[in-house]
Amino acid sequence: MNVFFQVVFHALISSNTWQTTLEFAALLLLPALGGVISERSGVVNIAMEGMMLAGAFASVMVTLGVNHFGLPSAVSVICGLLAAIIAGGLMALLHAYFSIQFKIDQIVSGVAINIIALGLTSYLLFEIVPVGVPSLPDRLRLPVPPLGPLANIPFLGPVFFQQNVIFYVAVALLFIVQFVLFRTNIGLRIRAVGEHPQAADTAGVNVRLLRYLCVVSSGLLSGLGGAYLALGVAGVFNPNMTNGRGFIALAAVVFGKYIPLGAAGACLIFGLGIALSYALQGLGSSANISNLLNTLPYIFTLVALVGLVGRTTPPAADGIPYEPGSE
Amino acid sequence: MAQTGERGAQARMPAWVRNLGDSLGRPVLAVVLAIIAGAVVILITWPNKTLDPFSNVLSAYGSLFSGSFGTPVSISNTLVRVSPLIFATLSVAIAFRAGLFNIGAAGQMTAGAMAADIIGLTYIHWPGWLLVPVMVIASILAGALWGGIVGFLKAWRGAHEVVTTIMLNWIAFWATDYIIDGPPFTAPLGVNQTNPLPTQATIPSVATLWNNTLGSFLPKLDTFSYTADVSIFIAIICIVIYWFITSRTTFGYEVRVIGQNPKAAKYAGIPIKRNILLVMVIAGAFSGLGGALHLMGQFSYQMTATAAAADPTGFDAIAAALLGRTTPVGILLSSLLFGGLRSGSTNMQALAHVDPNLVLILEGLIIYFMAADFIPIFRRLLPPWLRPRRKPSLLVPPDAPIASTVNGDNSEQGHYSAIGERRKEI
Repeated sequence: MNVFFQVVFHALISSNTWQTTLEFAALLLLPALGGVISERSGVVNIAMEGMMLAGAFASVMVTLGVNHFGLPSAVSVICGLLAAIIAGGLMALLHAYFSIQFKIDQIVSGVAINIIALGLTSYLLFEIVPVGVPSLPDRLRLPVPPLGPLANIPFLGPVFFQQNVIFYVAVALLFIVQFVLFRTNIGLRIRAVGEHPQAADTAGVNVRLLRYLCVVSSGLLSGLGGAYLALGVAGVFNPNMTNGRGFIALAAVVFGKYIPLGAAGACLIFGLGIALSYALQGLGSSANISNLLNTLPYIFTLVALVGLVGRTTPPAADGIPYEPGSE
Repeated sequence: MAQTGERGAQARMPAWVRNLGDSLGRPVLAVVLAIIAGAVVILITWPNKTLDPFSNVLSAYGSLFSGSFGTPVSISNTLVRVSPLIFATLSVAIAFRAGLFNIGAAGQMTAGAMAADIIGLTYIHWPGWLLVPVMVIASILAGALWGGIVGFLKAWRGAHEVVTTIMLNWIAFWATDYIIDGPPFTAPLGVNQTNPLPTQATIPSVATLWNNTLGSFLPKLDTFSYTADVSIFIAIICIVIYWFITSRTTFGYEVRVIGQNPKAAKYAGIPIKRNILLVMVIAGAFSGLGGALHLMGQFSYQMTATAAAADPTGFDAIAAALLGRTTPVGILLSSLLFGGLRSGSTNMQALAHVDPNLVLILEGLIIYFMAADFIPIFRRLLPPWLRPRRKPSLLVPPDAPIASTVNGDNSEQGHYSAIGERRKEI
């Protein structure tokens, strides 16, 4: 046990751990922001996992495909990024169409999307590249932007200024989403639609349109998260490579009380857990502890749900299809 | 029923034909639509270029069927898939009846299997007549606990059951990986696996049972080819138990009222909290038992790390419960369908070069086609004189028009609008 604490201590003072923490926090943050937006507008989204997976698949396939035609690497990566965002958006559009237009249960639709995304990406992967995708060369991955002298600051440099480009995008998006949701007119409308759609409708807000936009933007963000995972962190696509990260993002949404900054805090905690479990895997016989560390995000979220650290309540109309004229 | 007058032309049909049509129409339509959509996917991707695309579709579905129900051995392999799926589907279905989504069947199965595994590997010297029942009871208790947490948090803390079941799934997956990967249960040579269960802690295969009883004077079965274990019989007994609970007990009635009209349940004085807890305990118990029996009945009798998270049974069960509309017969048929799809898919890959993941696509589409009300769209496409006069009943099990009798409301109310109402209340 003593060895265990020594390793944890060494991990905590190593810049490597904190770099990994922020990397995974940003990876979880993108779908979590999407989840916050969607749930705030009153549409339950448990399909971030599937949307991420679709994004990861599209990003790798399109990057490799475009590169195959001889276009420069930068163009391929940008095309891959766009494809990921579009793929996530299309999955979300499916979710929006069925849950807003058909008013089917949003959880059923979310489950179906997760299953379809897993099936479709694995199916297409093996039909297009039967031997699996090779690991991407560095030039086809998302770059770490050169930040000059900043990157050379001891400790802070590697942690904050040697991150992947999508990390900075995610941080920017965090503040944008927080600002838009709580400081702008459209954010007020989104929250109104999620809390009391009848009142919002009476006030002249287009409930359906707003919900469509919010669900689709959750897909765009999740797709971007998928691209970050595949083109940035892993550099490869494997079937089911998200491996529950979309569900951790869902946990972050709930743990963060449906607030972007709260979700970001949750992502940081969960990211630290992942980074520590990586550090512990280098510990030989006690590597098994990392399995236990992996349960922490979920246990934290359960505790938050029970109300021990301040109860989380979803928006009042979350999960209820809007019927004009009801009540 | 106010609609009796409109039936007019159809009144000559015997009631059971009408009921059969009512309850089968939508699931059959969903499956047919999904098969057509799957055919389109195969047509577009055209995996086996030695055939023309249409033959490829035919060979894919042909090999899918022959691989699942074509030969006695393949039927036995399908039953291996079907019996845990029946348990998981019962678990999802009974929660559905109360308007709850049990996404956690996978975690409850894992918890049950792990509990049985720990008992079986700890008390190796116990005789089978003691060990097997203790393992079964432990698995039921572990599953019930895993489900009961969800029910408790739902009823008393208002925590959404979907979020809690997903969290508990992953806690179960990682925690069992922890137990599997560490001493004292890890197999010495096989990394990431537990020791196999001792022989007396396993349940016999159907073939062994046959050989030891009727097989003594009838032809014997090859125990290596016919791997289906006796858990399939226990699964069928559990379907009967499910039928009894849901349609022959006060509890089953109350659960249906809660699921279909929580307001009515509240005004009728039905103890909602207690019933929600109880229904999740029963749901977890079904799953836990299924997970343990699968471990005890299938060769190698070991638990493997990361296998639980990759096992699709929990998701298949949601699709099967939706497709079977939570009725006992529906659960049996849809479990056979999804179990068959799973076990036939390897044959489809071998013979038609179609990737087995096509089955997942079909499954997702079946969920959509079951949940979304396409029937009005089809009806609008028909010329007026062909349109059926009667509104088809949706998602409400055909034997349960509770909502309309309790509060005098004739509107057709599915599970889902009722869930919405309850969410508003809690």
